[in-house]
Amino acid sequence: MQSRQGTPFQSLSSVWRTLRSMRMALILLLVVALASVAGSLVPQIPNSPQRVAAVYRDHPLLARVYESVGLFDVYGSWWFTLAYALLLVSLASCLIPRTRGLIRSLRQRPQPARELESLRHFVAATVPGRPEDAIERARRLFRRRWYRVSLGNRNEQGLAAEKGLAREVGSLLFHSAFFLLLVGVVYGKGFGFAGQVTVVEGGVFTEAHANYDVPPVEGRFFSEGMHRGFQVRVRDFDVRYRRSGLPRDFVSRVDVREGARTVRTDEIRVNDPLVHDGVKLYQSGYGWAPIIEVRQDGRLLAGGPVVFVTDGSQDQRRAWRGVVKLPSIRPQVGLEFRLLPDPESFVLGAPMLEARNPFLGFTAYRGDLRLTAAQNVFTLDKRGLQVWEEGGIGLGQRAVLPDGLEISFPELRQYTQFRVARDPGTGIVLVAALLVLVGLIPALYSSRRKLWVRAVPDGDGTLVQLGGVALQRRAAFEEEFRALARELVGVARVTERR
Amino acid sequence: MSLTRVSNFAFGLALVLYVVAMVAYFHHLAFRRGRVWAVASGLAYAGVAAHLVSVVARGVAADRVPWGNMYEYSSMVGLLVVAGYLVVERVAKVRSLGGFALGAAVLAMAGATMVYVTPGPLVPALNSYWIRIHVVAAMTGSSLFILGFVFTALFLVQDRKERREAARVEAEPAPALAAVGSGGGLPHDLATSPDEPADRADLEPRRGWLPTAAVLDRLAYRTVAFGFPVWTFAVIAGAIWAEQAWGRYWGWDPKEVWSFITWVVFAAYLHARATVGWRGRRAAVI
Ligand code: HEM
Repeated sequence: MQSRQGTPFQSLSSVWRTLRSMRMALILLLVVALASVAGSLVPQIPNSPQRVAAVYRDHPLLARVYESVGLFDVYGSWWFTLAYALLLVSLASCLIPRTRGLIRSLRQRPQPARELESLRHFVAATVPGRPEDAIERARRLFRRRWYRVSLGNRNEQGLAAEKGLAREVGSLLFHSAFFLLLVGVVYGKGFGFAGQVTVVEGGVFTEAHANYDVPPVEGRFFSEGMHRGFQVRVRDFDVRYRRSGLPRDFVSRVDVREGARTVRTDEIRVNDPLVHDGVKLYQSGYGWAPIIEVRQDGRLLAGGPVVFVTDGSQDQRRAWRGVVKLPSIRPQVGLEFRLLPDPESFVLGAPMLEARNPFLGFTAYRGDLRLTAAQNVFTLDKRGLQVWEEGGIGLGQRAVLPDGLEISFPELRQYTQFRVARDPGTGIVLVAALLVLVGLIPALYSSRRKLWVRAVPDGDGTLVQLGGVALQRRAAFEEEFRALARELVGVARVTERR
Repeated sequence: MSLTRVSNFAFGLALVLYVVAMVAYFHHLAFRRGRVWAVASGLAYAGVAAHLVSVVARGVAADRVPWGNMYEYSSMVGLLVVAGYLVVERVAKVRSLGGFALGAAVLAMAGATMVYVTPGPLVPALNSYWIRIHVVAAMTGSSLFILGFVFTALFLVQDRKERREAARVEAEPAPALAAVGSGGGLPHDLATSPDEPADRADLEPRRGWLPTAAVLDRLAYRTVAFGFPVWTFAVIAGAIWAEQAWGRYWGWDPKEVWSFITWVVFAAYLHARATVGWRGRRAAVI
């Protein structure tokens, strides 16, 4: 009976012991790291469902394998959560006893030792004077060298001294700060979100779930109601270039509005985000957004800025592409545009950095847009379409197509893209990271050492015994010990044991 | 452009000097000629000087700090490895390791030439003072880790040899020496430990070609213990920059992953060293 009760208990306690070992903590840390790597390589359901679907379509077997081990949703998978939780428990379980131990040794005075002769460093000599004087001299000497000193009891002249608790304190600070860092990461991810948004000059973005380019990645404890709802109106956007054609600086000038009130006006640049209500907006991209109007017999079918993209975002020598879909007329029409912001430079093969006589070329297709299938706003699905008309217009011009269709290009604007993120854990993580660093220095560079002195009457004088040990940096301590011995008892026979 | 030329020329000169110094160091290791060591060391200093010229000229040519891309980064790491080694040589009076340290530097520089880019400005996202701080710290940290790694690898070689010798001595009827080697059988705390006094300020007590395993082990530990906080700082500075530029302090891109893994591995090394007193061998395997 007893053995049957004992076994599960024993195995439980051995699990516990394993968990408390730091090797386990380091292994768990690596597991978490590798899992995160996997999470960044394999598409994740929460952030890119289409790409996950693509894996299912193109590599069904692989997808099944991924799915079975939860690789499509690493951060939500049970094993990731488990590893992270175990890591936290493991760290906490070695922090608590160490903290207790540290507090105990901080409270306690250095403890007396019995046999100084057997210590690693030892010296003995007879000096003139009374034992009390020798002890007093030792106390002052050690004090001067920042040791904590405690005198022995009445009937024996002796003292104990130690130094280097900073090492323990630092080490503990390091480990606790690391724990705090892990907590801060979870907290920030859990209650935060991150998304991407494109806003054309003059346009307004309202911070809400539905208004992102793709659904934002939201933490597990984040609910839609936690979006802040403020508005960002982009007044204008500017890029400045170097002579080589590489961008030097991007600036978006924005108004932030709460309700109808403009609460601030600010600039957003690379490396200089806007922070409002705990949400940060980072300048992340830009491009051209011509305003294109399409009319049929005077009736407006489509009008407004169209976001254009370029293949190879750094290369301003290429034309920009954009698409307008007209599903409401029969047969359906799709328009594919090519924008040259600066045709003259284009012809010369130079980068088109500014708009000068912009030119909009188009190809019109007719047929079925296949809007029932998954859509990409930047391309046409040409499987149901035939080329119908081609042409091009400059700024302020219009082109007339058959069937009473008319395309005009009244204005060229730019759009800007922001990465929008909220991570309430950032502050915690930053503080924790700095504490990690602060704790590391004493933990690595200071060392603990202990000294004991005993003085007994010896004829007219006093026999002084000095013993010491160092837990780290023994070579340095040996020199220190010699110096102490010289000051306390004059040069004498120093024994070193190893 | 002519500054670029100067920089490239000085780079090549430094590389040649390092290679010759490396050969001389190995010669010294094998034959122990003091004069050869002096030559080797002198060459290494000259190499550092040329290398400095190269780096500075590069910085002036590009009108920015000279560590903006992989070429410049590798070059700087090479420079810091050699400079770091020369400091170790001065402080610890260890002369025989130069060949290995220079070898590592030469590899870093050879790697640099493979990723050569003409000097030019950075994309705006890289234009932040955090990146400068980050890169300086990362270069220092990785140089120290490279040195630590070299010392550790040599330690393993030497340790195995010593243990074999110790075993041989033990087998013979004079066991007195056995304990001196690498703590054969003694509790670790009493056996040779990181700061073993026997090898203090060492005038190179040696076993064969290399300094004793204990010296190597201590050097490795010191270098890593110095490199670790520097690396930690580098990672933090990088995270701050990433937070500023992209709105996330950590995104598991390959660089971040590797810096993190490096960090954990060296943390494990320090653990093994600091706590269990597993000196050297097992820790080194890590
Ligand atoms: C179960 C968990 C852990 C335990 C019990 C533990 C325990 C210890 C102990 C006792 C020391 C030696 C302190 C000294 O030399 O006075 C130490 C050092 C160290 N630990 Fe841990 N540790 C754990 C987890 C970790 C983790 C997860 C990391 C991070 C990667 C880490 C990084 C370090 C580093 C860098 C040192 C050397 C600096 C220092 O002395 O503080 N440890 N650890």
